[in-house]
Amino acid sequence: MSVVVSPFREPLVRGGKTYHQITEDLCAATERAPSLAWVLAFIAAGSALAFGLFCIVWTIWVGIGSWNLNRTIGWGWDITNFVWWIGIGHAGTLISAILLLFRQKWRTGVNRAAEAMTIFAVICAALFPGIHVGRIWVVYFFFPYPNTRGPLWPNFNSPLLWDLFAISTYFSVSLLFWYTGLVPDFATVRDRAKGFRKKLYNFLSFGWTGSAKHWQRWEALSLVLAGISTPLVLSVHTIVSFDFATSVIPGWHTTIFPPYFVAGAIFSGFAMVQTLMLMTRKVLKLEDYITVNHIESMNKVILLTGTIVGVAYLTELFIAWYSGYVYEQFAFFNRALGPYWWSYFGMMACNVISPQLFWIKKFRRSIYWTFLMSIFVNIGMWFERFVIIATTLARDYLPSSWSLYSPTWVEIGIFIGTLGIFFTCYLIFVRLAPVVAIAEVKHILKAAGDQYVDKNNAYAREAALHPPVQHETAGHH
Amino acid sequence: MKDKNAGIWIGNRDLNQDEAYIHQADEQSRIRPDETGGLQSNRRDFLRIMGFSVGTAALAASCKTPVRRALPYLTKPDSLVPGIANYYASSYVDGGDYCGILVKTREGRPIKIEGNSLCPLTGGGTSARVQALVLSLYDTHRIQGPMVRGENNWESSSWENLDERVALRMPATSRVRILSNTILSPTTKKAISDFKVKFPNTEVVSYDPISSAAILMANEASFGRKIIPSYHFDQARTIVSINADFLGTWISPIEFSRQYAKGRKISEVSGAKMSRHFQVESYMSLSGSNADHRIQIRPSEQGAAIAFLYNAIAVKTGAASVVSPPLAEKAASALSKVADQLIADKGASLVVAGSNNRDEQILVNKINEILGNTGTTIDLNTPSYQRQGNETDLVKLVADMDGGQVDAVIVIDHANPAYDYPAADAFATAFAKVNTRISMSGTLNETANLCNFIAPNHHLLESWGDAEPKQGLLSLIQPAISPLFNTRQAELSLLKWATSDHIDWKSDAPYYEYLKSNWVQNYLNGSSWDKALHDGVFKYQAPDLASAAPVVIDLAALKISQPTNAEQEITLFETVNMGAGQHANNPWLQEMPDPVTRCVWGNYLAVPVMFDGVNKFKGAFDLENGDFVNLSVGNTTIETASIQQFGQLSGTLALALGYGRTVTGAAGKHIGTNAFAFCQQADGLTQYYNTVGSSPVKSRKEENLACVQYHHTMGVQDIDRKTGQKINADEAATVFFTYFGLAKQGFQGSLVERSVIRRANLSELESFVSELQAERAEFQHLNEQTLYPDYSDLYERGHQWHMHIDLNACTGCGACAVACMAENNVPVVGKREVSRHHEMTWLRVDRYYYGDVANPNVVFQPLMCQHCHNAPCENVCPVNATNHNSEGINQMVYNRCVGTRYCANNCPYKVRRFNWLDYMKADLWPINEPALVEGEDSPFMTDNLTRMVLNPDVTVRARGVIEKCSFCTQRIQEGKLNAKKAGRMLEDGDVKTACQTACPTGAITFGDINHTASSVHQLANNPLNFQVLEEVNTRPAVTYKSRIINRDESIEA
Repeated sequence: MSVVVSPFREPLVRGGKTYHQITEDLCAATERAPSLAWVLAFIAAGSALAFGLFCIVWTIWVGIGSWNLNRTIGWGWDITNFVWWIGIGHAGTLISAILLLFRQKWRTGVNRAAEAMTIFAVICAALFPGIHVGRIWVVYFFFPYPNTRGPLWPNFNSPLLWDLFAISTYFSVSLLFWYTGLVPDFATVRDRAKGFRKKLYNFLSFGWTGSAKHWQRWEALSLVLAGISTPLVLSVHTIVSFDFATSVIPGWHTTIFPPYFVAGAIFSGFAMVQTLMLMTRKVLKLEDYITVNHIESMNKVILLTGTIVGVAYLTELFIAWYSGYVYEQFAFFNRALGPYWWSYFGMMACNVISPQLFWIKKFRRSIYWTFLMSIFVNIGMWFERFVIIATTLARDYLPSSWSLYSPTWVEIGIFIGTLGIFFTCYLIFVRLAPVVAIAEVKHILKAAGDQYVDKNNAYAREAALHPPVQHETAGHH
Repeated sequence: MKDKNAGIWIGNRDLNQDEAYIHQADEQSRIRPDETGGLQSNRRDFLRIMGFSVGTAALAASCKTPVRRALPYLTKPDSLVPGIANYYASSYVDGGDYCGILVKTREGRPIKIEGNSLCPLTGGGTSARVQALVLSLYDTHRIQGPMVRGENNWESSSWENLDERVALRMPATSRVRILSNTILSPTTKKAISDFKVKFPNTEVVSYDPISSAAILMANEASFGRKIIPSYHFDQARTIVSINADFLGTWISPIEFSRQYAKGRKISEVSGAKMSRHFQVESYMSLSGSNADHRIQIRPSEQGAAIAFLYNAIAVKTGAASVVSPPLAEKAASALSKVADQLIADKGASLVVAGSNNRDEQILVNKINEILGNTGTTIDLNTPSYQRQGNETDLVKLVADMDGGQVDAVIVIDHANPAYDYPAADAFATAFAKVNTRISMSGTLNETANLCNFIAPNHHLLESWGDAEPKQGLLSLIQPAISPLFNTRQAELSLLKWATSDHIDWKSDAPYYEYLKSNWVQNYLNGSSWDKALHDGVFKYQAPDLASAAPVVIDLAALKISQPTNAEQEITLFETVNMGAGQHANNPWLQEMPDPVTRCVWGNYLAVPVMFDGVNKFKGAFDLENGDFVNLSVGNTTIETASIQQFGQLSGTLALALGYGRTVTGAAGKHIGTNAFAFCQQADGLTQYYNTVGSSPVKSRKEENLACVQYHHTMGVQDIDRKTGQKINADEAATVFFTYFGLAKQGFQGSLVERSVIRRANLSELESFVSELQAERAEFQHLNEQTLYPDYSDLYERGHQWHMHIDLNACTGCGACAVACMAENNVPVVGKREVSRHHEMTWLRVDRYYYGDVANPNVVFQPLMCQHCHNAPCENVCPVNATNHNSEGINQMVYNRCVGTRYCANNCPYKVRRFNWLDYMKADLWPINEPALVEGEDSPFMTDNLTRMVLNPDVTVRARGVIEKCSFCTQRIQEGKLNAKKAGRMLEDGDVKTACQTACPTGAITFGDINHTASSVHQLANNPLNFQVLEEVNTRPAVTYKSRIINRDESIEA
């Protein structure tokens, strides 16, 4: 191999790829007919989506009474799922924005998919605040617009309103960021396409020509968006945590929530990225782009954030004890030992204990362990939100009103539906756009000149094996 | 010129008959058929027009536009102003139960019952049953006209037809029996005596399903008077009640609650006095839950307990002893101390017993006599007529009917022996042998269903009538609405069949005239009839009774019931809401939680609950809440759901009567199980306990266990098995997983240290108050440490509505909760929805047990929206749907509510209620209206008849919005308008909330706290006051007064 190999660092892209090979590898998924596995997965995801839609219509038609929430527990699976999805939607922007600003080049292997995941997760999340209300037909009351009722404005003191702004901002910026990154890659696909696909990608790529001016503006925009996104990564889950932190309910009324929620969000986001990337790299044969090094890096983030979350859990317990405030003390006592002890147990085991395995390099670099752990973390973080929401509400101040809660098929169905939405979108995404950012990966290829040192020989061999290839527009600059 | 114009002209030119103008005008107004083209039409036009006509006709015919007629009065009645309520004084009479009431009507519809404050018995108090009366008027199950039994079913008839057929079947020689519960009405009795003029072989058989016959018989034996005396619980310093639930159901609970509360309220801390109440019983009754001490006995030990108490007193006072059956040692030692206290409070004590054994009641009389209570706390000279029934008459009637000795039976009021007679089958068999069986019930019940004729009586609110609950106290019943259906006053039916000439049949209102003339002749003695009618109550000078001279009784000959050796005994009792089952079809009462079990829609077998010494409460026989059991008593086996009941004596069970109706409306049918068959008879008197043949056998699980409170305790104590320490067992029981033995005793203090309930014993009152004050000062100090600006000055201006609730006066009876449902159109949601904790009640009465796990004390706490000045609900609502007004009221704007439920989550008091489904049919979608009862296709309150009960001043909420207590904002508005109209300032008492007026004990006070002369302002300064969760800094507008009990810790019961 003619690739320069650093004595200190392993290359970010393995396999001695040429620019051309990268293009070939990464565009391939959008160009060939879907595999049987994809079709089966799509049918499964689509069915889940359809069932979820049915459950949503059922909820709106019948009323929230089709859920098992009650006079004590006003939020259950709905808001648990909302926070869970929002958390998952954090990795993408973190990877794209913060890691971009910190010049973590390894991010290029996974940022595209992670950003896509973010968008889809936020869509799933945003669904819940909408459908969990009693009267969805007046949900526009949330929006601050001049009206003939006074005008009557929404309550700017309410964290739910902050949520609305935080999530819509986050969604728009994430979408912009994601799409901006996609434009040169869409152009690459366009240049290789024919017929309808060419028209489609021509439209999607906004007339990208690959001119230096385009690249310059593209880079500037990416940086600006990264700058805007960075505080959003911190703010969105902070504001989501305010839904709880600004309340008076023991177990919710906690100043630790913002950092704890953000760490948890990154934790769960990375776990979901792992889950998806491990499957994607296997199915799309992207092992050279999403390497074990990537996986290890992300595992390190998981270990770090998991430990932060663990510290937060312990801090909560300590502060509850230290506060001397009986309601707070009981709230945490009850989380751990009360009727929902299993959810607390699950949360602790999945989020705090199991990621500690990643101190050991062998596990960090093991595909199987990583996959297993990512599933654990996904489950654990769902439990965390359930613990915070349902368990806390179930037993608060007045023992007379204590209650219990288990979901109905409708609530479960909606959750399955959001999984369906998420995976349907993701499956469409892998067929429509390159899952790894072609342009960005090419940036980090260390082999710029070296590829051509042996080029004659190499070219001759290549030429003998392959027909001439078209000139690539997108890859050179 | 002028003539031509005939005085009408337009402008000058017309006036002057200008030629050009006339021509022009003619041209304009002329019809020119030739220019319109005539009516020429072709085939296409024809088809077009026909198509349109047919189309519109089809549309018009098929789309039925609902026509809602709102007809104005042609001539408005003087008394009726739309939007202004009228109140009519009347009486609540249900068998022997009595309450003076005011009926609130709006636009001619009775919509609410208020207590009549002029009534000396109840003083304006009510009960849950009284509050629910108005709903039974609009019962869809009411019989709509006379009915005659056909071959297989009931056939509608006319009154003429019915009267004719009755006349044919009932010749003057007939042996007629009038079967009733206690008859309180003197005029009804007069009507019956007039009936007897034609039918001389008539006898009245009065019985009460929950009988007090033994008291009548005992007083006849002791004093020669077959009466119930007047009791004065307010004058007793020591009250001993043996199985008499005088606060809940016994004889006159509203009156007794009122008296009782007088002796329990504490205003001054220093030198505070209150009565001491011992309740001797096996199950947790409402009275027992209010008692300072409960002494637990098995139901069959009732006689032994009375005899023991008698002997203990007799020994010390030198009276003769009786042979006492054996009594459990614990109860005996407690009772001997009770005897000491009774003797110490001679003349100011009161012993009552619910026993239905004549000789035991004689012994109770004897106890009171020795204690000198007869004449002080027991007034034999003012007899109460509230229980007159004697079931021995019913036993005789059954025998007579069986022997063919009866030709006709007329069943009046709620009498329903086919359901509530212990040997109901025997009754039914004998009843079938009677030739003519007439029911006057307004609704179809088990007994009416066995009759040949139903001559439905008016509803109470449609009737004229009277009642004499106590000698010398008369109370009028006047109609508040014209009869809704083709019904007839029961007395009129009797007089009609008797073709009586004591009544003016030509009058428009013959029974009114009959009633009035009876009053004028016998009672009014020159007083104004109109005033009596206005006041609702009238006192007349009853002939003085000679002072009761005790009859000498041979005490040795008394037959006291003997305790059994059975492993299990069962108590059968009446509940506050259901009575003897006559209220089964009243959804408000079905959905009203039982004050003690907190269950709704059914009766549950109460089984004792024990602490396992580790972290679990275990029901006897390993029964969990909601387990169904097969229970055998004698030859009868029934299947009933069970519930773990604190305070239930080990080895005993209890089951409520009044459930399991088989013939009634949809709401009440097959709700719970009928336990009347479990009652036994001794000497013809019904005994409300029995021995259980074999242990209950678990059969299945209740799917919809409808209990509104599932955590019941706040510090019940028992011994930890490992350490031998006394711990708060309920706190240990909050642990579901011990983490392999790490957290066994739970978090000790997690329940008792909450500032939800404040309670103390009278003996430690002063130290309690100083602790309370210190703690409150600490809370207030902490609450002042805030970053937020202080808005206190805003709350010192204008009206600030405030509520004060005295936990010592509250007996937990639940009248307020039903009054709230009635006043505020709170939906009834049915059993399944309640089982999902979807109950909609704005006001609930929380009940907590504390103290000894086997025999705890109880505290009740009415809880409604606290109208916090720092309301957590308000700042989290994203759309400002809930906010604070300038008078300190937390308002709920239904129209603005989106339904995020964030406010409900953030409410520390959990008083906000969400409309999960369309409980009131206020929505477009029919699918989300839950059926009240399985199998019914529509929810409660969706038919036009039931909807008449809705309060037009209160919005009916659609699904998807939050609702909660509004402090009866409509009443505040009404009070303000009335003051404004009268041109004066709002005064204390102008505004009273529904819960306040319903309360029989005056536990709730409402008013403007900024008004220094208001009673709420004065009460708010009591040192015993506390606020629930004060440290959360919500600044509630509801203040509670601590619960103080008067326990003698030296007594172990």
